Amino acid sequence: MDRKLEKGRSSGRGDYRTLLIVAAFIFLVPAWSRMIPGEVLHMDIVNVMVFAGIYACVVIGLNLLVGYGGQISLGHAAFFGIGAYTTAILCTRFAWFPTWLGALSGVLLAGLIGWLVGVPVLRLKGNYLAMATLGLGEIAFILFTQLKGLTGGTIGIPQGLNVSVSEIPPLSVFGFKFDSDIKFFFLAWAIVMLLMLLNINIIRSRVGRGLRALHSSEIAADAMGVNTSRYKTQVFVLSAMFAALGGALFAHFQRYINPESFVFSVSILFITMVVVGGMGNLWGGIVGVIVLTFLPSVIQAMPQWIPGIPASLTNFSNYSLVLYGLLLIVFMMFMPQGIAAGLSRASAFTGRRAKRLRDRIQARKYEGH
Amino acid sequence: MGNEHILEIKSISKLFGGLAALEEVSFEVTGGEIKAVIGPNGAGKTTLFDVLTGIIKPTSGRVMLKERSIIGLRPDQITAMGMIRTFQTIQLFEGMTVLENAMVGCHSRTNSGFMSTSLRLPSARREEKRIQEEAMAVLEDVGLETRALETGTNLPYGQQRMLELARALASEPDILLLDEPAAGLNQYETDELSSLLSRFRQRGLTILIVEHDMGLVMQISDEVVVLDYGEVIARGTPEVVQNDPRVIEAYLGIEAD
Repeated sequence: MDRKLEKGRSSGRGDYRTLLIVAAFIFLVPAWSRMIPGEVLHMDIVNVMVFAGIYACVVIGLNLLVGYGGQISLGHAAFFGIGAYTTAILCTRFAWFPTWLGALSGVLLAGLIGWLVGVPVLRLKGNYLAMATLGLGEIAFILFTQLKGLTGGTIGIPQGLNVSVSEIPPLSVFGFKFDSDIKFFFLAWAIVMLLMLLNINIIRSRVGRGLRALHSSEIAADAMGVNTSRYKTQVFVLSAMFAALGGALFAHFQRYINPESFVFSVSILFITMVVVGGMGNLWGGIVGVIVLTFLPSVIQAMPQWIPGIPASLTNFSNYSLVLYGLLLIVFMMFMPQGIAAGLSRASAFTGRRAKRLRDRIQARKYEGH
Repeated sequence: MGNEHILEIKSISKLFGGLAALEEVSFEVTGGEIKAVIGPNGAGKTTLFDVLTGIIKPTSGRVMLKERSIIGLRPDQITAMGMIRTFQTIQLFEGMTVLENAMVGCHSRTNSGFMSTSLRLPSARREEKRIQEEAMAVLEDVGLETRALETGTNLPYGQQRMLELARALASEPDILLLDEPAAGLNQYETDELSSLLSRFRQRGLTILIVEHDMGLVMQISDEVVVLDYGEVIARGTPEVVQNDPRVIEAYLGIEAD
């Protein structure tokens, strides 16, 4: 194949470059955030970014499922919870249990459960699939709350359990303990970048095209030879595993867990992150996660920045669901492709890319004709 | 394909409730020929295609593709066996470039999955390169190579039809099912389609076509099967069928003596 076209096709290469830029920007966050004095910032940026990284694992997978594959899930907090509880239970029951193996067990268990649930559930479409996954989330939440002997009930792990340790141990790999915010920050975001790399590879491949085809028209995808039911199950399992990985990081970072972190509204938060960032946009997940993870901190910092704001407004948890709902409605109506699509449109508008594309097509027209 | 029957349709019936959309439809498609299925609206032509491609199951009857029964197989399995279709209403994939649309057509004869593509294993990269080259080749075949990087659904209507054709060809089928490929095309585009299909036939591709444009049907088909109310009422060369009184009656609704 001629070189020009090959270059034209490799929008993939552009994505890898963007990934490097995004990674550089994010890994520099601790450096520049320290330069801003605390009395101006009123939030711990690194700490918030750790949570953003943890949620990003979930949202990258969910975007693959919802944004690319077109299959909704309103129950991904279940897999987030499975990842968290599996490693938390293993590592507090058995003090010798390697934390990384706990995390891996959670990921694999979530994959297995995702497969068992996905095979029947993904036969449903649209609203019915939404309801079924919502049910899945509720069942998981009830199990987390009611299996007291295993999960510590509403008190959680480790306080609700009769175990010798006072907290979930920090993640440690080859003897290196991720026991501070800054260490965990680098761990979480390195994992996010790795997941993004896998994500880009998938999207720019036969599998990614299969998913997008299935999203656009299931009948046409079927007819073109795409095994749609298999793809749906596989992408569901993959997103469940990504979510569980996020959950495992969450447990080892926070050092305690209880069912509150895996309620229905968390599933909604994940979906809101996908929508606000941009469904089916490669960078949508990360953008949505950062915006929505910082939102509560920003709102809480408001009275310090702007004197005279009533304190009741700053209690985020009072109206978080209302706000997520509003964001979902507003974005669906006015910006269905999310913030990331807006950003990439803006960057494309600089015109260089568009010009190169025109040149390539022009060059091709004259060749061989 | 030699001259044996590549596709055999044996007493296919399809009932929707009490309504017979297809009733004991039987005919064969010989390797290398262009066969047309015609009939008034509602005669069961699209239902027939849906049965052949595994989208719906027939109430009774058998379909043999290359001497293997395909009843009960999924659409993607049938496509992988070498029979692929286009749609009456254009079904291009939204948000994909022309090239990507054609690349999806290569799906049935490629196999890298989540694991090998996410890790960009050498096998997946080689396959991706091959898919891209072959998809580009079919675009050149139908004259869309200069539009490869445009969004498929932004093409003019006639070119969208050509892209659907290219996407189906990318699967390298033995038999191609075309559901009204000339619908919405102007005369110039229809002529182009006609010469394109003749060219494919010369390369050994077998084509089963459902079409309303009688000019096109008469021009390219070796044999015509006429459906009316789900039944085969006539079959034969275009000339024979054109003069068959039952066909004239079905189309014009008058008693022929």
